[in-house]
Amino acid sequence: MNMLELLTELALMPLIAFTIGLFMVLMMRKIAAKIQRRVGPPLLQPLYDIVKLYAKETQNSHGLIHDIGIVMAVGGYIAAETMLPVPGMNGIADKSGLLALAYVTMIPSLGLALGVGQCANPNGSIGIARALTAMLAYDVPFVIIIFGASWFYGSNNLIDIVAHQQAGGIATWGAAKMPVLAIAALFSMYAMLGKQPFEIYVAPAEIATGPMVEMGGKYLGGLFVMQCFQLFTASAIYVTMFLGGGENWPFFLVKLFAIIAIPMSMAFVFPRYRTEDVLAVVWRWPVLLGLAGVWLVMH
Amino acid sequence: MTSLDLLLILSGLTTLTGFTFGNHRAYPWLAGIVLTAQIGILASMPLPMAAGFGFEMFGRPVGWQMDGFGRFFALITLGAALASVAYTGGEWGERYAAEGKNLRWLHGALAGNVLAMLLLLASGDLIAFFIGWELTSWAGFLLMAQGGERALRAAMRYVPYAMAGAMAVLGGLVLTLTWTGTLDLSQLVMLVPGLANWKLALLLALFGTGFAVKMGLLPVHLWQTPAYAEAPGAATAFLGAISSRMGLFGFGLLLVKLITLTRLADLSFIDGLFSARDLIEWVAALTIVLPTFTALKQNDARYLLAWHGIGQSGYMLLGLVIGDATGSAGGLLHVFNHATYQAALVLSVFAVMHRTGTADLNSMGGLVARMPFTFLVMLLGIIGLAGLPPMNGFVSKWLIYRSLMIEGRPLLFLMTVLGTLGTILSVYKLIHNTFLGQLRAEHEQIREAPWSMLVPMLALVALAFVTGVAPGLALDYVNQAQAALGLPVMAHTLGGVESPRGSLDMLWIVGVLFAGFGIGALLFYGAGGRSKRIHQLDNYAGGHFLSADVRYQYSDHFYAGLMHRIGPLYRGSFTQMEAALVSANDLLASLMQAWYRQAVPALTLLIATVLGLAWMIWR
Amino acid sequence: MNPSVLALVPALPLLAAFLLPLVPGAARRLVGPLTLLAVAFIGLNLWPMAQTEPMVLAVGNFAPPLGITFYADTVSALFVIAVALVTLVLWPWSGSDAGNLDRKQSLTLILAGACGGLAVSGDLFNVYVFYELAAVASFGLAAGARTAAAQIATFRYVVIGSLCSLLALLGITLIYVQTGTVNLAHLAQLAPHTLHNPLGLAAFFMILLGLGVKAELFLVNTWAPDVYATAEARVSGLLAGLVSKLALLAVARLLVLIFPLPEARDALLVLGMLGILSGEFAAFRARDVRRMLAWSSIAQLGAAFVAFAIPGPAGLAAGLAVALHHLLVKPALFLLADRWGGSLAQITGAARNSPVSATLFVLFILSMIGVPPLPGFWAKYLLLSGLAAQPQGLWWLAGAIILLTTVVEAVYLFRVIGALYGHDHRATPKSQSATAVIGSGVFAAVLLAIAFSAPLLALPLNRMAVQMADSAAYIARVLPPVLPGVAP
Repeated sequence: MNMLELLTELALMPLIAFTIGLFMVLMMRKIAAKIQRRVGPPLLQPLYDIVKLYAKETQNSHGLIHDIGIVMAVGGYIAAETMLPVPGMNGIADKSGLLALAYVTMIPSLGLALGVGQCANPNGSIGIARALTAMLAYDVPFVIIIFGASWFYGSNNLIDIVAHQQAGGIATWGAAKMPVLAIAALFSMYAMLGKQPFEIYVAPAEIATGPMVEMGGKYLGGLFVMQCFQLFTASAIYVTMFLGGGENWPFFLVKLFAIIAIPMSMAFVFPRYRTEDVLAVVWRWPVLLGLAGVWLVMH
Repeated sequence: MTSLDLLLILSGLTTLTGFTFGNHRAYPWLAGIVLTAQIGILASMPLPMAAGFGFEMFGRPVGWQMDGFGRFFALITLGAALASVAYTGGEWGERYAAEGKNLRWLHGALAGNVLAMLLLLASGDLIAFFIGWELTSWAGFLLMAQGGERALRAAMRYVPYAMAGAMAVLGGLVLTLTWTGTLDLSQLVMLVPGLANWKLALLLALFGTGFAVKMGLLPVHLWQTPAYAEAPGAATAFLGAISSRMGLFGFGLLLVKLITLTRLADLSFIDGLFSARDLIEWVAALTIVLPTFTALKQNDARYLLAWHGIGQSGYMLLGLVIGDATGSAGGLLHVFNHATYQAALVLSVFAVMHRTGTADLNSMGGLVARMPFTFLVMLLGIIGLAGLPPMNGFVSKWLIYRSLMIEGRPLLFLMTVLGTLGTILSVYKLIHNTFLGQLRAEHEQIREAPWSMLVPMLALVALAFVTGVAPGLALDYVNQAQAALGLPVMAHTLGGVESPRGSLDMLWIVGVLFAGFGIGALLFYGAGGRSKRIHQLDNYAGGHFLSADVRYQYSDHFYAGLMHRIGPLYRGSFTQMEAALVSANDLLASLMQAWYRQAVPALTLLIATVLGLAWMIWR
Repeated sequence: MNPSVLALVPALPLLAAFLLPLVPGAARRLVGPLTLLAVAFIGLNLWPMAQTEPMVLAVGNFAPPLGITFYADTVSALFVIAVALVTLVLWPWSGSDAGNLDRKQSLTLILAGACGGLAVSGDLFNVYVFYELAAVASFGLAAGARTAAAQIATFRYVVIGSLCSLLALLGITLIYVQTGTVNLAHLAQLAPHTLHNPLGLAAFFMILLGLGVKAELFLVNTWAPDVYATAEARVSGLLAGLVSKLALLAVARLLVLIFPLPEARDALLVLGMLGILSGEFAAFRARDVRRMLAWSSIAQLGAAFVAFAIPGPAGLAAGLAVALHHLLVKPALFLLADRWGGSLAQITGAARNSPVSATLFVLFILSMIGVPPLPGFWAKYLLLSGLAAQPQGLWWLAGAIILLTTVVEAVYLFRVIGALYGHDHRATPKSQSATAVIGSGVFAAVLLAIAFSAPLLALPLNRMAVQMADSAAYIARVLPPVLPGVAP
């Protein structure tokens, strides 16, 4: 592969990811609307929202770190997308692997945390404390699953992992070979997305007492973009680890949206867990399932 | 005279000069030049390099010889000392002297530590090793005791630990001598693995205790935090960066070179279910997790960092004991990486202390507006400490995770990641409570730290960044250390490792990361309306008006939700154990004193004589 | 050199002690030091000769085993030098009045003479006599501080000392009854047949307790903390540093020549271990610096007993190293503790007034806990490697105890260092006296010289131990086989 091709891929992959992420947000809202017996937003509403936020006249900055936080939150995901293979494009997946990807996806969270911290609003800081605690909660089962998958495929390389699963059709998919881990992974991905009942750290319902308290205009717009990326990334990682990755685009898109649809269909019927209960739940079920799954994989 | 002699002589001279002229303006320059020269000498030294001196004691030669393993640690030692001397050289040292503290002793003790460590790292036999070991311990004590009353108290707490460790090592030394008839390391390498299992287990227990104390492994770690935190700035940085790694150096010699990892795995406790190797791995893993979560609860920046120093040493030992090419490279590389960012972090905390006079995480905030460069240092430092890309801490931890994956150790892997996650939480609290949030009224007039302090700090984080992007630079030396220990050597590229089962190329990862940041910045600054800087009091406060005298900052009990869940797990068991030991000691002591305070010595004497005679006659 | 100079070693100081009050004027103050110098000179001359062949003197030309025998090998020579020089450094230069000073100087000379006698004695009876002489002199010196506390402490010392002297005499009597001789060489010849039985062991144990009083042996050492804490510093230094070593030497001679039995070694080993344990732990709680040093001294001597218990030259080398190291360190520490006695709180911050003394104090402490490359480390190394080379059981237990108690020792000694370098505005520590600084400075110089020349000294130490361990050579030297045609 020559350098030009690679650079094109690197440029295209985040763009595609963002686009898919926008539609995932749309789907999420549509599902919520269906559950709540509403019509839901039009096709381009997520894009309108972003444009609106960017175009706002009041853009309050609390200083350079506030700005940089948003830049890191978006930029981190842009980088992460180049490490996730999609049909026809591998980017730098062979140079980073599953582990590095998992850690690169923490950078946006750190950026967000820095940006919110700089805002000098204790409500924001409390939100970040909760968000980091939630991260501590869901990353524990997540890394157990990463371990299990990596052990099973004998590789940390996502391209290898995809090729391994595609070798024998659905029968060789991770979900078929490691069903327990796949369930645990779904659970921990659910927690990772920060939707009900795990949405205490975003606290979207009471924006004034969460991390978003000082975020407006394009700051909030940046976080919206980040959410698009986040939805895509979580789903793509899951599909890559357990659902055979992307053989071709249509099939890949179906898998991606299906995986997001599952938690979203459940989310809106739940109330909310408190921070300590998020810990209790996530450290119990997905962790136990994950450990059991790893045990099954290794024996 | 060999170049090793020159290296040691230079250190000896620096020590003498430090104790005599340490308060002179020119001393830091002199010491800096000498240390730089020493780094040059050491880096270009052909290995192994024997010292030209040595002596014979009781028929056994005592000599010094530097190999790749020792040089790796020695380079870090010299580098850490250079940063510390440079930091002390300017305004910080002047203030220190102006406060009536003894700058000569600080410089002398620092240089003395370097000398002692070089002697230790270049030891060619166990007597030389023990000499270096004791000198390192007491030089460390001298450095710890410099910071005033609290520091002295912390240093005193170090004494029983250090002495217990030293005596355990001495015990191991004489047993080794008894069983093998030699103390020469090159011969011991061949003889020790052949010893019976129980002998190896005893040697492991004795030497291991000594090294564990120095490293601050659980359960003998309690001394380290106060001792390292209360020392004066540059000393804390030096101690935190390299001092306790001498324990790891000892473990490297003992576990890998002498006992060997295969024999270690033979020493099983419960029918082959749990071996000494597992034990050490688990001790290392617990050392990662428990101190990290203790750090999370600290309210003093120095204590927080010192606790993390203990936690991070667990990674190093774990990597070393896993012992495959990847894991041991990760463990050793982490020594270097930790030294760079930890020294930078400690120095940044002391820079803040220099300006604000406090390290209390509940009485700062918002300092980024006044000390942006110090903030930058701390930011890059915590990214390294937390082990996230693009800093070097990520690379070494990645290697350790990877080797745990390859070797199939899920629980240990989980422990290492748990440590990393805990670290992220803890260091965010550190940077948040220091630099983010509300700027206090009393800190309005604060200036950035002086350049004499900024330059070493920035140089350290620059090093941590560069070796994060191009870990191959440091891995060359790691490979030499691996080879000297007899470990498999990890092949590497400039950007990391290349393997069909999962490569890591930091050049690309950091490349796309910064490209991502660039695009993010373009999107942020290029699109949308112009942002306007608003004052921190112009904040949402639920309808209230904020003024400068209103504390509007969240700092105390930062992770309240988390503590609801894990708070009850903090029981202070180790502190209680320590207290119980002290009480037992006191009780025994009063019993013994009672013997000497007895009222009727003649009667006791009579009874004892009769009993003694009976024993002599009938046994 | 004529063997009869051996007799001068005890005789010169004793004579000087009695003549001292008769010497007129300023010259009187020179008698003691000059005598000691003369003894040192004799010792220095003995040293090279004893290297090749130990020197024997049969007083009055009564051939051994009859008559009084003096015997000087390298160890004796070394101890003669040590007695003279250490006494010189700890010499009482001043007193409250002239009579007091005379008494002190005379008693010190008697002590020196008795110690010299112990170093060169070749028969059991002389050992006893010199030992009693040393005891009497030390009672007088200990009470010399003239405080009530000192007198009470000395009373206890006298009670225990006299009881144990009786025990020793009883032991010697038993041996004499059994063998008909008190000459060490002759006893060594006869012992395998007559004394290696329960009776002999009982005698040994009684002599051990008797001599053990001065050597601060566990069971008979309860006098030591009080006496050392209340006597003058130089007296404590003499008793703990010097006299104890000579008692130790006498025990070691007995062990090597007459009772090289496992039972005897075990007795030494067990009592030594108990001494270490009780001394170090008691010192751990001591709040008074001098009492702390006294307990530490008990522990160090316990270690010396343990070392001498190790069979063969290895044990003697270790024992000599430990004993000689203690001989250097403890008197110096007692000298420094003269002004720095009392509770730790009183000496807080003393290092600022007397930096040199504080540095010396630290140096001695570091050597005592065995920080290499100071001599204390090599002594400890010899002791531990000697113990480790023995079969497990009690020997290894002793090694473990030594390692463990060193930690305790380090803690309480560092407490003193911490106090010296600490800050407390309420404390008004005294600055050191010139004599203490000079005296301990001399010891420190010797200590450092030994540290730097340790590799060179290892060989002579070993040779000394080998010579001392060779009981056959001792017998042959004192009782030469009668060759036909040569008059004995």
